[in-house]
Amino acid sequence: MDYIFENLLTVLILLPVAGAALTLAYHMVTKQEEQIKWVTLGFTLLNFLVSLVLFSKSAVVGASGFSFEQNVPWIRSINTNYHIGVDGLSFWLVILTTFIMPIAVLSSWNAVEKRKTAFYVFLLLLESAMIGVFVSLDLLVFYLFFEASLVPMFFLIGIWGGDNRIYAAVKFFVFTMFGSLLMLAAIIALYYIYADQTGLGGTFDLTVILTALKNGSLSFSKISQAGTLLFWAFAIAFMIKVPVFPLHTWLPDAHTEAPTAGSVILAAVLLKMGTYGLMRFNFTLFPDQSREFAMVFIILAIIGIIYGALVAMVQPDVKRLVAYSSVAHMGFVILGMFSFTELGMQGALYQMLNHGVTTGALFLLVGFIYERRHTRAITEFGGIANVMPIYATIFIITTMASIGLPFLNGFVGEFLIMVGMFQSQVLAVTATVNWNYVSAMLAGTGVIFAAVYMLWMAQRVFFGKVTNAKNKRLVDLSWREIGLMLPLLALMVYMGVFPKPFLKRSDEVIKSIQARIMQQAGGTIEKTELKPQSPAEGEK
Amino acid sequence: MNTFFLFELVTPATSIKAIIPELIIAIAGIVVMLYDSYFPKKRGVTGAIALVGIALSAVFLLAMWVNDSPASSWNGMIAKDSLRLNFSLVFLLVSAMTVLISSVWAERETIPVGEYHALLLFATFGMMMMSAGNDLVIIFLGLETLSIATYVMAGLRKGDLRSNESAMKYFILGSFASAFLLYGMALTYGATGSTNLTTIAETFTKPDAHVNFPALLLVGGAMMIIGFGFKIAMAPFHVWTPDVYEGAPTPVTGFMAAGPKAAAFASFLRVFVLGFPLVAGIQVSGYLHQSWVAVIAILAIFTMSIGNVAAIMQTNVKRMLAYSSIAHAGYALVGFVGAGMAKTDQARDVAIASVAFYLLSYAVTNLGAFAIITLLSQKNDRRMEFDDYNGIGFKSPALSFTLSLFMLSLLGLPLTAGFLGKVLVFRPALEAGNSLLTILVVAAVVNTAISAYYYLRLIVVMFFRERTSTWVQPKVPFALTAALIIAVIGVLYLGIAGDGIIDRFSHQPATSVERVER
Repeated sequence: MDYIFENLLTVLILLPVAGAALTLAYHMVTKQEEQIKWVTLGFTLLNFLVSLVLFSKSAVVGASGFSFEQNVPWIRSINTNYHIGVDGLSFWLVILTTFIMPIAVLSSWNAVEKRKTAFYVFLLLLESAMIGVFVSLDLLVFYLFFEASLVPMFFLIGIWGGDNRIYAAVKFFVFTMFGSLLMLAAIIALYYIYADQTGLGGTFDLTVILTALKNGSLSFSKISQAGTLLFWAFAIAFMIKVPVFPLHTWLPDAHTEAPTAGSVILAAVLLKMGTYGLMRFNFTLFPDQSREFAMVFIILAIIGIIYGALVAMVQPDVKRLVAYSSVAHMGFVILGMFSFTELGMQGALYQMLNHGVTTGALFLLVGFIYERRHTRAITEFGGIANVMPIYATIFIITTMASIGLPFLNGFVGEFLIMVGMFQSQVLAVTATVNWNYVSAMLAGTGVIFAAVYMLWMAQRVFFGKVTNAKNKRLVDLSWREIGLMLPLLALMVYMGVFPKPFLKRSDEVIKSIQARIMQQAGGTIEKTELKPQSPAEGEK
Repeated sequence: MNTFFLFELVTPATSIKAIIPELIIAIAGIVVMLYDSYFPKKRGVTGAIALVGIALSAVFLLAMWVNDSPASSWNGMIAKDSLRLNFSLVFLLVSAMTVLISSVWAERETIPVGEYHALLLFATFGMMMMSAGNDLVIIFLGLETLSIATYVMAGLRKGDLRSNESAMKYFILGSFASAFLLYGMALTYGATGSTNLTTIAETFTKPDAHVNFPALLLVGGAMMIIGFGFKIAMAPFHVWTPDVYEGAPTPVTGFMAAGPKAAAFASFLRVFVLGFPLVAGIQVSGYLHQSWVAVIAILAIFTMSIGNVAAIMQTNVKRMLAYSSIAHAGYALVGFVGAGMAKTDQARDVAIASVAFYLLSYAVTNLGAFAIITLLSQKNDRRMEFDDYNGIGFKSPALSFTLSLFMLSLLGLPLTAGFLGKVLVFRPALEAGNSLLTILVVAAVVNTAISAYYYLRLIVVMFFRERTSTWVQPKVPFALTAALIIAVIGVLYLGIAGDGIIDRFSHQPATSVERVER
């Protein structure tokens, strides 16, 4: 047990890989695919249970603020280490990943009919890569997992997706790969800037680089434009992943074409890699640039919120509608992050989880009806509440959570983000206009739009009379389907009523990131003034 | 005294020990040839002889690789340094895998297998001499030995028009490029008074030593860039590649993309990075160095862009891989330029080692891909279009997933050899902190993203489409399985645990040339 405890994160990463290997071996030996979903479900549940150990109070928090840290040399000649650890920022995202996986497996129970082994193998490999992304503390290892998560998703969309799957899969891959390669170049450049300025030899270790940044032995301001270029190289990679407004075009395609499990994971976890990356890397490595360019992100976020909502409104396809609502929701997350207030950033982190739960649930629900009718066009439905009351109830509750009804999770996140934006000091305040207020208010219209398109869709799908004869004999949800929705519903309510335990975890990290970004404003000036007489220099 | 003087003249500093690995390969080639003429019916044996020869040579080479410190022999004509040993190991691996891969093809089509193996060994000998030569003459001899053997290998399928076209094109253009190279070497000799690269490099280091006609050196350098550029398929000297690669028998194409290209890189590195260094205070070295670095950096950008963009448009898998090999030469050139711009000798050696590692990872991956393509192509390379791969993903899952792994490695995805290779070659270029080199890396990055499209296309075709025509499960012969296992293990090992190899590649100085103050 101790061994597992000490290597907990590695176990979390490797357990699904072991599951995948076992699945493959099982398939090769027995030549049958029926039991494989059980094996996969077992492994994902086991991984979820193991991940609960993260809550353990005996976890030791290291000097850099991470617990369950492990640091093993990987490629010595370029000084890259398998350095992993978890802190308040990544904690809930790891749990979210392990939590959503068994649900994704259950949702594919009957939906996946062909090539089952390969499907579940890719799901398991995806889980490993996703957990790896959230726990890596070495930039190169992070990049590795970030890219590795692409391949299983590419296959999931490409093999088990809809009619236009090939286009969607390739678009998804190429978009993300383009961004992440820029990030790779930035990572290598960072390595050399570190080596050059500290004289210690390069490193990819985030904690080491951050320490050097904090004590001033590393500073991007010494090289003209270096900070800006590196910032954008990282930012573009994550903006594509989130996706932020002009880079979002891959998302609706990928979401629409992906199989249900793929959409759920994509919405719940993969998009979070972008916002997580911005917080973890851009905010900590480049606080000055983050503040400097915050306006760009806020503008793009507001455009994303409003644009996503407006486009969602006119979608004839339910799944595409939910996909565009994702763009809007992620806009809120970006807005909260770049408000650089504690509340806004907490809200952003919270909204990341909310979006994972709610939008994940919406995709599941869309999947249920698609399995029954093999269509997702809104006009095909109408009056579904009459034939599938349980389904309709669950769907409406999820819709309410998504549009931010009080006492459901979406409300807490959006509320915090708005309040954060109102308090924000990022944007200019002139005699006549406080632009922070303006952006908060503009974002607020997004909430109204969200209510419009979600409720309008719900009304057209569920209420009224059953107009389409094909819908008359639809079967309501099975116990399996209800069972896999219940934990999500419970979370929606719980997170809406008791946000405290969630927010408490990330409190400390958020405070330190926020302080670093906002203090640095005065800090740099102060530092340059003080430098000649700094005591450290004098002692030498 | 007179006799003693004569004795001195006729007895150069021979050291058989220094060239044992090369000699073994050459002898194995002769044995194969003789055996083939006495027992032409026994088709399996020559391959075995070739493999034994390669293995024996590898043993001696490994002994040198592990133990010896850099030195030179044969009056400085043969170098024994990690540049040579690293590359020679790559060549041996390439030819061993080529023998294994071509077994399937030799069986299927009645090609003169003995001749083929002999030619392959001679080509390998040529490659090894190219990396060992520390003298322009040795490098040229090695290059010609290699080239003539490969011209013939490209045309081995005598009845096939495409194969003939391939050999003919390769021969004519190759001879032309060799002439350029030789002329460049002659001009360099005229300018510096030596063909020995150590001496040439020293010419720049001594303030009193003067270069006869600096312009000659610049023209000579330019001509050599053309000559080597042809061999590594650097744009704009790449035009032959697609036709030659497409027409040549598939295993030979795999060999050409991996082996001769790496060999030309070895010589190219030695002549330019080690032979034409930048020496502080010597004007002519500054001109020369600045020119060649700038030229190669710009051509590298062209090379990868042209390779990638053209690869997107191909419908033939082999042709796609031909263009992809052009693009990969471009990526390797990034490390090359990084080596040229390195600030210290140590950084230069690391950069050279990273190019070697890159070419090793490319060779392993590419040969793996060609192994599968050879198997699936059937007699006379009939199945070569993307459409022929439609939906075979779940019909032959093992082969398809392996091919996908190779494609992802060529693309440079983490945990594969290609990823580490890319990181390693981009590194020295970024380290130089030069804006041209930074642009070069950004170009390489953008190109990698472009390349995703066509590498993925093969995966898309295999897995995401349904097969409409019938699919006959190919029988995988033992030798090909062995080659595939080597390739898969190689790709994963180099990608996950490549640490040891990188360490080994760069732990010794790349050259025996004396350290030069910069």
